[in-house]
Amino acid sequence: MSELTIRNIRKSFGAVEILKGIDITLADGDFLVLLGASGCGKSTLLNLVAGLAEPTEGDILIDGRSVVGTAPRDRDIAMVFQSYALYPNLTVERNVGFSLEMRGVEKAVRRELVMEAARLLKIEGLLKRKPSQLSGGQRQRVAIGRALVRQPKVFLFDEPLSNLDAKLRMEMRAELKRLHKMLKATVVYVTHDQIEAMTLATKVALMRDGHVEQLGTPSEIYNRPATRYVAEFVGAPPMNILPARIAGGKIVVENADVPLASAKTSALSADGDKLSIGIRPEAVSYAGNGGEAKLWLETEIAELTGPELQVTGTIHGHRFVAALPPTTEIVQGTTVPLGFEAEALHMFGSDGRRLPDETVS
Amino acid sequence: MSGSRSTLRAWLLLLPLLIIMTTVIGWPLADTIRLSFTDARLVGTSGEWVGIGNYAAMLSSSRFWSTLATTMWFAVASVSLEMIIGVLAALLVNQSFYGRTLLRALLILPWALPTVVNASLWRLIYNPQYGALNAMLTQLGLADEYQSWLGEPSSALAALIIADTWKNFPLVALIALAALQAVPKEIRAASMVDGAGPIARFRYVVLPYLAGPLMVALVLRTIEAFKVFDIVWVMTRGGPANTTRTLSILVYQEAFSFQRAGAGASLALIIALIVTVLSTVYAVMIRKAAGSAK
Ligand SMILES: Nc1ncnc2c1ncn2[C@@H]1O[C@H](COP(=O)(O)OP(=O)(O)OP(=O)(O)O)[C@@H](O)[C@H]1O
Ligand SMILES: [Mg+2]
Repeated sequence: MSELTIRNIRKSFGAVEILKGIDITLADGDFLVLLGASGCGKSTLLNLVAGLAEPTEGDILIDGRSVVGTAPRDRDIAMVFQSYALYPNLTVERNVGFSLEMRGVEKAVRRELVMEAARLLKIEGLLKRKPSQLSGGQRQRVAIGRALVRQPKVFLFDEPLSNLDAKLRMEMRAELKRLHKMLKATVVYVTHDQIEAMTLATKVALMRDGHVEQLGTPSEIYNRPATRYVAEFVGAPPMNILPARIAGGKIVVENADVPLASAKTSALSADGDKLSIGIRPEAVSYAGNGGEAKLWLETEIAELTGPELQVTGTIHGHRFVAALPPTTEIVQGTTVPLGFEAEALHMFGSDGRRLPDETVS
Repeated sequence: MSGSRSTLRAWLLLLPLLIIMTTVIGWPLADTIRLSFTDARLVGTSGEWVGIGNYAAMLSSSRFWSTLATTMWFAVASVSLEMIIGVLAALLVNQSFYGRTLLRALLILPWALPTVVNASLWRLIYNPQYGALNAMLTQLGLADEYQSWLGEPSSALAALIIADTWKNFPLVALIALAALQAVPKEIRAASMVDGAGPIARFRYVVLPYLAGPLMVALVLRTIEAFKVFDIVWVMTRGGPANTTRTLSILVYQEAFSFQRAGAGASLALIIALIVTVLSTVYAVMIRKAAGSAK
C-alpha cells in the first residue's frame, strides 16, 4: 500500500518558477514515467518527492500523509541516480546495506537482506568488490540493489540507464520491468528515452516547461496525444504535422485542392477554420498502384534504418516523413502514393489542443 | 622512426636544460657534500679532509638531538593544527550562506602575506608591553598581568606554532575546498536519502574525495615545516634558551654564526636526508590513499 499524491506543486528558484502547478496521483504499484525535454523540471520534481528540496507551494503525500518538510530519510523512499552515486570506498555489500546500516539494523539481518537483494539483481558474486572494480552495468545493479534492500514505499529513479550503452540499457530495462512486476512497487522514473517510457510505464506524465502536458497510459499518450506538443514529442521520427483548413465540412491540407478526409469533429464546422492534422510516419502505408492513396509524397531521400525505410519528402509543400516496410522499393525523386486509416489522423486546433473526434464518419 | 633515434633527439633537446640544472643545482650540491667532509670555516681555512668527523660530531651532540626534537614538535603540532583548522574552514565556506564569496577571499589572506610580514605581525600581537594578545586576555579577565609570550621558554614555541598555523592553514583550506567541490552532488543526495547523519556523511561521502588532496597538502606542509627558518628567525632567532631552535636555524648558526661551514654542510645534508625519507614514506601513503578512494 503506497500511494503517492502530488498536489499543485510549485517550485521557484529565486524569481524563476520552474514547476508551475503539478498534480499527479499514483495508486499502489503504479509506474510513473516523467518524460520531457531537458530542463522542463523532471529532476526538480523528483527531488521534491525525495525531500532533497522543498516545494514553494503545494503538497506531497505518501499514503495520505504529507511528507513536505520531512527529511529524506524519514520519507520511506529510495532513489537511484544517473551516475549510480555509489560510495566509492565501501564494498558492494556495504553499499547495498548502507541505508540499513544507517538505520541501525542488526548485522545479521542486514546481511540477509543484502543477500536477498543481491540475488534478485544477480550481483551475489560482486559483494566483496569496490565500485571502482565494477562495470557501468554492474554499478547500476548495485545502485538498484541499494534502493531495493529497504523495501521503501516509493522508488525514485533519475535517468538510471542513460549512462549505459544501448544493449545494456535494453537488458536493464527488461530487468526493471521484471522487478516491478515482482515487487509491485510504486515508482517514479525520469527518462529522456521514449522506449523506456513506453515499455516501463503504467502512467506517463509528459512535462513541458514546468507543467504536465498530458498524464495518461503509454497507449493514450501515443494514440491520443492531448496536444500537438505531445504528438510531436512522442515517436521517432516525430509525427508529421500538416496545416489544414475546413472546406465544405471536410479537411483540406493547405495548398491542396482535394479534401483529405471528412472532419471527424463537431468542434470545427465553419468553412475556413484552421487546424493542424497529424499523421505518424509509421501510420502510413505504401498504396501500391494508387488504389487506396490519400496522400502523394514527393520523395527526396529514402534511408533504410534497418527495421524500416524512412522516406522524407514533401506533401503539398509541407515536410513529411513516411516509415515504410524495409523491403519497399522507392525511386528517390518520384512521387509515392500513401494511404492511412481514418483513426491515424489526429487533429489539433490552432491552440495546439487535440480536437475531440467524437463523430467518426 | 627508430626508437634510439627519437631517444637521442629527446636527450639533445633536454641538453641545454640539463647543463643549466647541473650548474645551478648539481654543482653546489656536490660542493656541499665535499664541504661536509672537511673542517672548512667560512673565512680563512679552505678545509682539511676530516672524513665523517662532522657527521659523527653532529649526531653525538646533544644540541642536534634537542633541535631535532624541537623541529619535530613544531612540525607535528603546526601541521596537525593546520590540517584540522584548514578542513574545518573549508567545510564552513563550502556551505552556502550570505557573504560566502567575501569570506573565501579573506581566507586566503594570511597565506598571501609574505612570511616576514606575518612574523612581524605576530611579534606585535605577542609584544609584552603593548601586544594585542595581552590586552585581550587581561580585558577578558583570563590573565592578571602581561606576559612575554616570545620571551618565556615555556610559551615561545607554542606562540610560534600558532603564528605558523595561522599563516598556513589557508593553503590546506584551499586544497580541501577544491576537493569538497569535487564531491559528486548525487552521492551526497544518495547519502541523505539513505539516512546518513553528518558524521557518516563526512566519513563515507566527503572523506574519500578529500583524502588524496589532503595527503598532498600534508606532504607539502610537513616538508616545509621541517625546513622552517624564516618565521622563527624573524620572531625568536631560535631563542629563548634555544627552545625554538629548529634544524634550519642550527644550520645557520653553525655555518654563519660560528662560521663552521663544514659542520653546517653536514647538518644541511642530514636534513635533506630526513626530508627525502619523509617524502618517500608519504609518496607510498598517497598511492595507497588514492587507491582506496577510487
Ligand atoms: N538549484 C537550482 N537553482 C536554480 N535553478 C535550478 C536549480 N536546479 C534546477 N534549476 C533549473 O530548473 C530547470 C529544471 O531543471 P531540472 O534539473 O529539473 O531539469 P530536467 O527536466 O531534469 O532536465 P534534464 O533532462 O536535463 O535532466 C532548469 O532550467 C534548471 O536550470
Ligand atoms: Mg534531470
